[in-house]
Amino acid sequence: MTRMPGAVAQPEDDLEEGELAEAPPFDLLHVPVIGAFLRWRHSRTFLAIPLLAVSIVMILQGLLGPALSPKNLATVLTWVHFRGALVLALLLAGNLFCLACPFMLVRNAMRKFVTPRFTWPRALRNKWIPAALIALILFSYELFSLWSSPSLTAWVIVGYFVAVLAVDGLFKHGAFCKYVCPIGQFNFVAATASPLEVSVRDREVCDTCGTKDCIRGRRAPGSDLVIFQRGCELALFQPAKVGNMDCTFCLDCVHACPHDNVGMLSRLPSAELMSDPQRSGIGFFSRRKDIAALVIVFCFGALMNAFGMVSPVYTVETWLGRVLHIQQEAPILGMLFAIFLVIEPVMLLGGAAAVARAWAGLKSGWLAVAVRYTYSIAPLGFGMWLAHYGYHFFTGLYTIVPVTQNALAELGWPILGDPRWTLVGLPKTVVEPLEFGFLLLGLAGSLLIAWRLAEDDSEEHALRAFSPWAVVCLILFAASVWLMLQPMDMRATMMAG
Amino acid sequence: MDEAVQAVGPKTRVGFLQGRRWATLTFAQPAMLTVFAALSTVAGCRARPAAGASLPIHTEIAPQPVRVGEATVTITGIVDGLKEPLAGVRIQVEGDMAHPGMAPVFADAKEIAPGTYQAQLNLNMPGDWVVLEHIRLADGTRIERQLDVRGVKAQ
Repeated sequence: MTRMPGAVAQPEDDLEEGELAEAPPFDLLHVPVIGAFLRWRHSRTFLAIPLLAVSIVMILQGLLGPALSPKNLATVLTWVHFRGALVLALLLAGNLFCLACPFMLVRNAMRKFVTPRFTWPRALRNKWIPAALIALILFSYELFSLWSSPSLTAWVIVGYFVAVLAVDGLFKHGAFCKYVCPIGQFNFVAATASPLEVSVRDREVCDTCGTKDCIRGRRAPGSDLVIFQRGCELALFQPAKVGNMDCTFCLDCVHACPHDNVGMLSRLPSAELMSDPQRSGIGFFSRRKDIAALVIVFCFGALMNAFGMVSPVYTVETWLGRVLHIQQEAPILGMLFAIFLVIEPVMLLGGAAAVARAWAGLKSGWLAVAVRYTYSIAPLGFGMWLAHYGYHFFTGLYTIVPVTQNALAELGWPILGDPRWTLVGLPKTVVEPLEFGFLLLGLAGSLLIAWRLAEDDSEEHALRAFSPWAVVCLILFAASVWLMLQPMDMRATMMAG
Repeated sequence: MDEAVQAVGPKTRVGFLQGRRWATLTFAQPAMLTVFAALSTVAGCRARPAAGASLPIHTEIAPQPVRVGEATVTITGIVDGLKEPLAGVRIQVEGDMAHPGMAPVFADAKEIAPGTYQAQLNLNMPGDWVVLEHIRLADGTRIERQLDVRGVKAQ
């Protein structure tokens, strides 16, 4: 029997008379050429090599190339194309960046020579560190104006490689991906809204499977040290896996499964957030405060990141500096981040939880309700990231052409001709409707999830349980729309006036 | 001139990766090392400052403070050692947002007085701008000048 990923399997006997059995989901691995390529054992390496080459070029250009951000491949590719392509791939398919991760290519090469000896500390097996790292990166992005500095951008990429090698050189399995990588965690949260999921095709095949290779991997007979094929390094056991959280789309499980029973299946985006089953490698979302915190940083960080690029932020910073008699930018920016990422979420989500609990008579405690419903705002956050990064991606789509022409010309190989600096991207009149479309999609997804959770919590008073969260969603949506309507105003020094 | 507006000379950067030995990266694959080494080498062969870099070029932008819209860029000092104006000079002025992915704006500068050129640049967005002056002398020498224009305000 096939099953929809993220959905609870329904025995055929339970189907009402006349009810049609669900059609099997679309499986990307069954698509000619693409499926065969992805099933190829070296497909991930093949995809990662060009990205590694691009990363090296970005590092070199960032350190040695033009100091002006719009003319440097490091800044243009990182802050215009990579971010936009990342979120669009997540929207249209799934976690494709992690699939082709260049950092993992270097890490895998290192592990041919270095065998990690330690297991990741139990106390750190959660998302608190990556949530803090995402906040730190967003903070650094604003404070150091990373978007305007090719060299700093290059050093961020270098730092990423160093961090991957350090963590995965010391710790076994996928410690960096699961417990550290900020990009990965961003992708995991966003991928909850992706239309594809790596999942088992037929649950009954798993029930009869005695080897569990999808998580254990395949090893040489008589030697546990010789691994023919890795199992899931992020501890996701396919038959019990639900959704895209922690899934890097590495396809190790696909290659490991001796029954060819793992596919990349279609599903209803965000459906995995509409219920709260126990998830392999994760547990229950409603009991994971750390993942809820990650979702909060993801969503409210999207607002803060957009707020940092519009004119009102300078007015607020200047006012705060004057009132508090602070001239340095860092403490003022820190305050703004505290307001956006801590105070605002506590007030909005905490307030909604208290009202929903009291009004709908929910039996769970205040914090438990807040954690459970926090996941409902993930699509809104993703919508905001899509609107923001999509804006830069589409309006600057063609800038890669003159920047590449310029880079080659500077190297003495003007094979692509003189830089055509007038090539920019799609007009704003085309991009702006897309932005609002992304925000509306996010709002619809968040409202639907909140409603489903409310229905589960209280059949009698579902509307009462839902309403406070609907208000939160509408407030966040209104804030997002307001931000998108503000004139873009990128300054390297916020406090300069 | 406003403190926020600083003229900056042509930038040269030292290729600090030149001459580094990468043999310590034993984990890297030979092909990657080859690409890396090749790119490092050619990246070190970057153009040196043009011969005309010694011209006493001075740039101002008006109005102050700079706001979104037409800005007047005035370039003075296009003169030789005897302070005689140079003939046959072409100057193109380019405005770039500090953020990548934005459309640059261009304008050709006209000589309004001996050795003094002026261009109207449409700074169409608030934020930090970088104004580049692409100066080409009669003998083909190219000179690049950069002017950071910070905090251009909305109208």
